[in-house]
Amino acid sequence: MRHARDLSRREFLVRAGGTAAAVPTLSAILEACSKPGTAASGSETVQIARPDNPVTLPMNGEPIATDTPIEQGATLQILNWSVYMWKYVINQFVQQYGDNGIKFSGITTFNNMDEGVQKLQSGKIKADVFFPTIDVLGKLVAADLLQPLNHDLIPALQQDNWAVFQNPYYDQGWRYSVPYTIYTTGVGYRRDVIPDDVIHGMDNPWSILWDPAHKGKVGVYPSYRDVMAIALMKNGITDLNTSNDADLEKVRTDLLAMIDAVSPRIAYDASYNKLQRGVFDVTTAWSGDVVAGWGYDPPYTEASYKGYGYWFPADRKGPIDNDLIAIPKNAEHPRLAHEFINYWISFRHAMDNFSWNGYQPPQTQADVNELTKTQGLYSKQSSSWAAPTPYVGPWMPDAVVRETDFPIGYREGPLPADVDDHWHEIWSEFTAGVGS
Amino acid sequence: MSEGMLTRSRQQALPQQRGGFVRRWARNPWRKPTILATITWGYLTWSLLPLVIAIAVSFNASRSSSIVHPFSFQWWWSDPSDSLLHDPELHSAVVQSLKLSLVTMAIAVPLGVAFALGIDRWRGRLATGANFVVLLSFVMPEIILGLSLFFVFSFLLKFVALGSTAQILGLVTFQLSYPVIIVRARLLTISKEYEEAAMDLGATPKQSIRAVLLPMLYPAIIASAAIVFADTIDDFVTVRYLSGPVSSEPLSVKIYNAARAQPTPAVNAAATFMLASTIVVGFIAYLLYRAFTKGQRMGGVGDFATQL
Amino acid sequence: MSVPSEPGPVRRRRRRGAPADGDERVHYSRWFWPSFTIPATIWLAILFILPLYTVISIAFGTVDPIFRGPLPVYEPWWWSGEQFGKVLNDSFGFYRIVYVHTFEYVVVASAICLVLAYAVAYYVARYGGKRKTLLLLLLVAPFFISYLMRMLAWINLLDTEGYVNKILTFLHITPHPVDWLGGRPSTVIMGLVYGYIPYMILPLYAFLDRIDVNLLEAGRDLGAGPARTFLRVTLPLSRPGILAALVIVSLPMFGDYYTQNLLSGSPKTTMLGNLIDEAVGSTGQGPKAAVFVIILMVLVLIPMLYYMRSTSRSLAVR
Repeated sequence: MRHARDLSRREFLVRAGGTAAAVPTLSAILEACSKPGTAASGSETVQIARPDNPVTLPMNGEPIATDTPIEQGATLQILNWSVYMWKYVINQFVQQYGDNGIKFSGITTFNNMDEGVQKLQSGKIKADVFFPTIDVLGKLVAADLLQPLNHDLIPALQQDNWAVFQNPYYDQGWRYSVPYTIYTTGVGYRRDVIPDDVIHGMDNPWSILWDPAHKGKVGVYPSYRDVMAIALMKNGITDLNTSNDADLEKVRTDLLAMIDAVSPRIAYDASYNKLQRGVFDVTTAWSGDVVAGWGYDPPYTEASYKGYGYWFPADRKGPIDNDLIAIPKNAEHPRLAHEFINYWISFRHAMDNFSWNGYQPPQTQADVNELTKTQGLYSKQSSSWAAPTPYVGPWMPDAVVRETDFPIGYREGPLPADVDDHWHEIWSEFTAGVGS
Repeated sequence: MSEGMLTRSRQQALPQQRGGFVRRWARNPWRKPTILATITWGYLTWSLLPLVIAIAVSFNASRSSSIVHPFSFQWWWSDPSDSLLHDPELHSAVVQSLKLSLVTMAIAVPLGVAFALGIDRWRGRLATGANFVVLLSFVMPEIILGLSLFFVFSFLLKFVALGSTAQILGLVTFQLSYPVIIVRARLLTISKEYEEAAMDLGATPKQSIRAVLLPMLYPAIIASAAIVFADTIDDFVTVRYLSGPVSSEPLSVKIYNAARAQPTPAVNAAATFMLASTIVVGFIAYLLYRAFTKGQRMGGVGDFATQL
Repeated sequence: MSVPSEPGPVRRRRRRGAPADGDERVHYSRWFWPSFTIPATIWLAILFILPLYTVISIAFGTVDPIFRGPLPVYEPWWWSGEQFGKVLNDSFGFYRIVYVHTFEYVVVASAICLVLAYAVAYYVARYGGKRKTLLLLLLVAPFFISYLMRMLAWINLLDTEGYVNKILTFLHITPHPVDWLGGRPSTVIMGLVYGYIPYMILPLYAFLDRIDVNLLEAGRDLGAGPARTFLRVTLPLSRPGILAALVIVSLPMFGDYYTQNLLSGSPKTTMLGNLIDEAVGSTGQGPKAAVFVIILMVLVLIPMLYYMRSTSRSLAVR
């Protein structure tokens, strides 16, 4: 049964022009002779995962055998976001497996998830490890682009990672994914402009992004889901996957009002670079970005590090999420990929990477209360040009993510197509710059 | 026109003529073009200042790329992991930039020159159409071509892998118009009689092209090769849409990605290195140009630049 | 030079267009010259025309239901104009301001480019003298280092703590540092001028350099001052060059997205190119990107056609 379903889905994807298979031009045209898109009407849609609706993804084939030998002389291929992994830690891995002739030639990067999926989907990039977000995981499995993981080869998950991730809602039994980073989405601010107690004392701190006092100094991410999620939070709406027209209308009104009130600017580096350099006073911020900001903050003194902070609701009820690591179906070195994943989510290496990229790993051995007191490896290594700093600056305790945050936080999941279109429509209106 | 009128107006133009100083100054054809000179040097300062800063930053002693700090080779070779010499990603980016430029040049120039020759001597309807398309590609916003190529390689011509192959195909398409336009302009100044004379002396058409026409076209060919090379190194719109694995990202794409974060001066070092290599290519082109234009024209840089 | 292999008639001059009659030797076979154009023509057909058709097929196509990536429909009889209609509708709605901005920026930037480029090209061509070589080298220099690298330098210069603000506040021209990168149209226009003006100066220089000095002297001899000579002789003579330079510079500007991305990033200065670049990177927005590409294509096609006609005419005249 499963085979039959897979076949039809794969067949559809070939028609759709979405698979790895290189279809010769002529046959592509001939195949298209039945109207594309119509074939899809009968096929089932991908199940949408929610914390209250956990999903067990179907097994596409079997994981590789535990006794598969490590590939010799392989060049590790990583498909990832830019500025996301510390090369030093990758090089350590390569050295550790030096006897196997492992090489590493750089990370193929993407700037947003769609670009990443496109690159993977094209089949022309044979990545060994890929870093998907939760909302595309189900789709990637449905399109048969990922391979199931061999749990025996990744003991670090059970040994070192939080219990929350032993059986996550989006991938019950972690068949395809392990957690990578965990982060909250809040507000980054200049502490020299907005004192800590002022923002913490506000009735609705989310609304500081709309405060005309900071006109021209507000930065938002080029990420429609996160910016709109913040607009929802500002309105007290906690369903970050809402399809409710009234909710979305509020978001629309608020986004357009934001243009008039503060002339926001869209920037990828809003809260790890521009906030630090004083270009922005307030930003939409992922906790990890603000934490990593010291590395972009000349003159690299403690005083300059203390210039910016991170706010997240004190009751910890706000947007929270995690990213994933997975192995593509067409990985050329699947055994090495398992080794790499195990290495990457094990305590020492996960923490070293955290010291560089600012995104916390869900490590049981890392006492979250100590993170604001302990110096990380990158800070130690950078002593020649930068003042020392702990993993997380003690003046921004809100940026530390705790295991208890996950059950109460709000999560962004995949959206049905028509709802997603509606979200995009609103975002387009915002980026077109027309005020309210 | 009578003699008298001519003398009268001539007298008017003479400096002895009465009138205010400003008026005399404005009407004096031999005055120094102070305003124009100011504009020109002002423009040059404005256009070259960022270039100087970009180069200076590559010698920074600090990690910052916003302030110029004391002199160091840290980002060229001293830094063990992030300097131009030691960062494999920057290496491969520089190599990829040079590779794309050279291959694009090697394909686009012969294609374009042949096309220009054909189109100049043969005026068919198809020729007019093709010429239209070439001119179209010359003035079209690059994003149109870059995106449409991205789409065609993603859907219709799937056997073309995103990466170097796709990038070169795209770049050649985009750069083809330079040799066509430059060579055609030169062809217009060459009379057909040269080739005909050669053939009268018994040369076959092919021989006449090789022995007579091509040498006369060398200046234009070299100039177009130089400009294709320089323009391709700079290109990132087409190249970014068509890039595949990390090894296919040239320096320009790396810089664009870095520009949105905080780049280290190593990127500046790489760009400066590219500047040097472009200058070398430009200088070789200039020497070739001079060698081939001996006896044809003065062969100064001015003429060479005019060809550009 | 090759040795003549056969004794041929000595005088061979044929009037252009006259049919080769028996008396005259046929120089070229009928397909000789056309064959030169074949490789490039095939190249352009596959890599220029076909891609444009693919864009149309995507704009009028659909999206795949799982990843919502674009699904081109190649047969015109199955095309759906839904996406196109929607974008066109929004183009008169909230997107209208983007078109207005794009036009404003391109027109102002092109005008500044023209005035500046003409002045510089004129100076170098007429008064360059001994320094001509140096001046030309300096004019070409910006081509030799990455445009993006120079833009990065500008970003640093224009920073609130950058040198531009330091100088302005030091000279008391402005009391406080100006936030040049805070989404100002003037900064975007400056960036556009900066990026495109070298492409204008060189052709203008080449054109002005070719103007016969005798004509200018004749003007002077007839009593015209420098200003009149310029207005009555030089300017009319350089009209074709100006037109070409304007088209070469302003049309590519319409698709520019990176200048506003790097120097502003504010929704208030969004240009048409930004809409395209953003749509192509978002789930389910592929067809929208294709529609914008078509709209952009049509918008620049009109001045393009004008340019083609003027160049083909000037080629015919020369």
